[in-house]
Amino acid sequence: MASAHSRMRCGEFRTTYQADMTIFPTPLARRTAVGSVLLLLAAPAVLDSYLLNLLIQIGYYGIAALGLNIVVGFTGQISLGHAAFFGFGAFASAWLNGTTGIPVFFTIPLAGAMTMAVGLIVGIPAGRIKGLYLAIATLASQYILEDFFARAEWFTGGSAGAMANPFTLFGYEFFTDQTYFYVVLFYVVVMYLGGANLMRTRDGRAFVAVRDHYLSAEIMGINLTKYRILSFGISSFYAGVGGALFGHYLGFVSAEGFTLLLSIQFIGMVIIGGLGSVMGAMMGTVFMVLLPEVMEFGVHLVGSNNTALTQALAYIKEMAIGLAIILFLIFEPDGLAHRWRMIKNYWKLYPFSY
Amino acid sequence: MRRLLLCGTAALAIFGMSTMAIAADKIPVGHLACYTGPTSDVGIPYGNGVADAMNFINANGGVNGKQLEYETVDYSYKAPQAIATYKKWMSGLEPVAIQGWGTADTEALVKFIAKDEVPYFSASYSGHLTDPTGKSPKTKAPAPYNFFYGASYSDTCRGLVQWAADDWKAKGGKGAPKFIHMGANHPYPNAPKEACAEYAKELGFQVLQPIVYDLKPGDAKAQCLTLKDSGADYAYMGNTAGSNISLLNSCQTVGANPQFMANVWGWDENSIMAARESGDGVAVPLGSPSWKADAPGMKTIRAISKMSDPSGGKYRNLHYMRGACAVFFMKDAMEIADKKGAITGSNIKAAMETMTNHVPAGLEGVCKPSTWTGEDHRGTTEVSVYTTSFNGGDFKFNEQATVTVPRRPDWLGW
Repeated sequence: MASAHSRMRCGEFRTTYQADMTIFPTPLARRTAVGSVLLLLAAPAVLDSYLLNLLIQIGYYGIAALGLNIVVGFTGQISLGHAAFFGFGAFASAWLNGTTGIPVFFTIPLAGAMTMAVGLIVGIPAGRIKGLYLAIATLASQYILEDFFARAEWFTGGSAGAMANPFTLFGYEFFTDQTYFYVVLFYVVVMYLGGANLMRTRDGRAFVAVRDHYLSAEIMGINLTKYRILSFGISSFYAGVGGALFGHYLGFVSAEGFTLLLSIQFIGMVIIGGLGSVMGAMMGTVFMVLLPEVMEFGVHLVGSNNTALTQALAYIKEMAIGLAIILFLIFEPDGLAHRWRMIKNYWKLYPFSY
Repeated sequence: MRRLLLCGTAALAIFGMSTMAIAADKIPVGHLACYTGPTSDVGIPYGNGVADAMNFINANGGVNGKQLEYETVDYSYKAPQAIATYKKWMSGLEPVAIQGWGTADTEALVKFIAKDEVPYFSASYSGHLTDPTGKSPKTKAPAPYNFFYGASYSDTCRGLVQWAADDWKAKGGKGAPKFIHMGANHPYPNAPKEACAEYAKELGFQVLQPIVYDLKPGDAKAQCLTLKDSGADYAYMGNTAGSNISLLNSCQTVGANPQFMANVWGWDENSIMAARESGDGVAVPLGSPSWKADAPGMKTIRAISKMSDPSGGKYRNLHYMRGACAVFFMKDAMEIADKKGAITGSNIKAAMETMTNHVPAGLEGVCKPSTWTGEDHRGTTEVSVYTTSFNGGDFKFNEQATVTVPRRPDWLGW
């Protein structure tokens, strides 16, 4: 205990710019992050497929949610079309792999790049409009892409959907949950480190400046149009990679999976997790993925023989998500990341919290 | 502490053994249902039929004494949800057979179930699921583990078109009649689109540009105006009942009235009552007798219905009977598999493929005699065409014709 305490600081003392710019605020935070990744490496050996499946879901949704957080939380824009980008990545990777034979290993980042290109185009209105108008413009892009998915047979297989081949590396197939978990974990680590680093760069700070006060940002010499569109592009890259991981995990990609409802769920993830927080995106995703499972568990606990209750399960799951968003907006608008910071502060200052 | 640990392990071991013992004489079955979502109007009665039939089997001696242990999951007609459920099952429940639902999800699962050797009894009668070997030139992918009870959507539509050709002649129509396909842009209404259009052309129809209308019920006046302008004589409705009700009402309003022909999921007692006079004369293929019919097998159906409705007063619509049939064909295959050794996926498939003009015992007159072989999974190609009339609430099914669609080899898998 004592050693842990000595490592924990009672305040953030940064005496150099370098110290101010670290990815992890404290050495303990860094060790925890590295430790938890190491722990997760052992997960497939310990956990059953059901739990691994949940972790994989958290992984690919988490990557996409971080993308949305870059555009919503860090740049202060709004996007109601994130699910369509997520879907575009899934289709793009399946299509690239299916038609050209490029290994899935390469098509996942390529799909991210293709989605980024689409995101840059869709982001163009963001250079000129904001607020509600931007929300509607992104909503339109959601519908345009959804319709494209249902009709572009050459690209998506049309309404019947497309098959996505499993991820392979040197002839080894990552087909089971146990193996695919590592693929997702790799991407989560890379994308989250990338996200955290992005915020330490000139571009990342420009995003935050645009969010905090776009007029001041412009006066400081930040090109608003460029950064607003770039933010959409980067966000789409994340969505595309997340979607590609989803597609190759499920083995099948269908337009039905990427509706407005999923876009709203992504928004829910970043709101619940905490706008403008890299870790918050992950926390929100964990919450959103686990909530329906907890509901299902609860329903089975109360009455697995109660047919009315089990038939209502689909409704209960959807309602719980809606309720969670409302409750978070009222009681914790800063999200789980903020709550986590408060808890940490409480223990740091304990027992002299004043 | 050590004693506590020992006790704990012993208890766990006993518990583990007891669950294993139970698992040995249970047959795990997955039940993928659509209780919510755009096709729930027909998904609920069908799903109830499946669940009641399985409960009935369990209450009456099971499958050679073994109980069906089934898990129902409502996937809301979302194909990705269905695949996720399947993956979850394969790592937990490990079903030896699955009772499924829609076309999009069943077609998406074809490769998965073939790899895992899980026979899949879908409520999708898509023609794409009928070629187990993939030898037919029009087959996109072989579907060795797919089965369904009834004529495929393509064959049903062919049967309806055949009937329409005769009807046109009988009514003294001149020139080439015009045929039109209507349905959402979704794998289920799309499944028979090309196959049926080609046969209609062969029979001398003029085939018009298809019309798209939503699977979710809503206003369809724009589509009905297009239909009216097209001058179609025979219109095939590819969607489910709920969507077709709104279509017919809209078409009544704008005065578009060709001879409508519904898919097997596209018209039932509920839609007759809801569409009232707008629905009079719709041609519908029946896969089973209706609830009040006095076929010998209806006695069993009424007993099955009592599993969830002890009073026996509930009216069950057409889809309920087909759900029960799908389960009983599966049960018979399991019994054959059991006698041959073990109830495994590949044994159930092999058993299904031995059935020739088979009718499950006790369901005579309800389930149509069906034949499956290792080369051909078209259980039946018989299409019983009826028209319906609202008749002030005392609705009637009027028998028109029974068309046996030929089993052409190049129609397999299409």
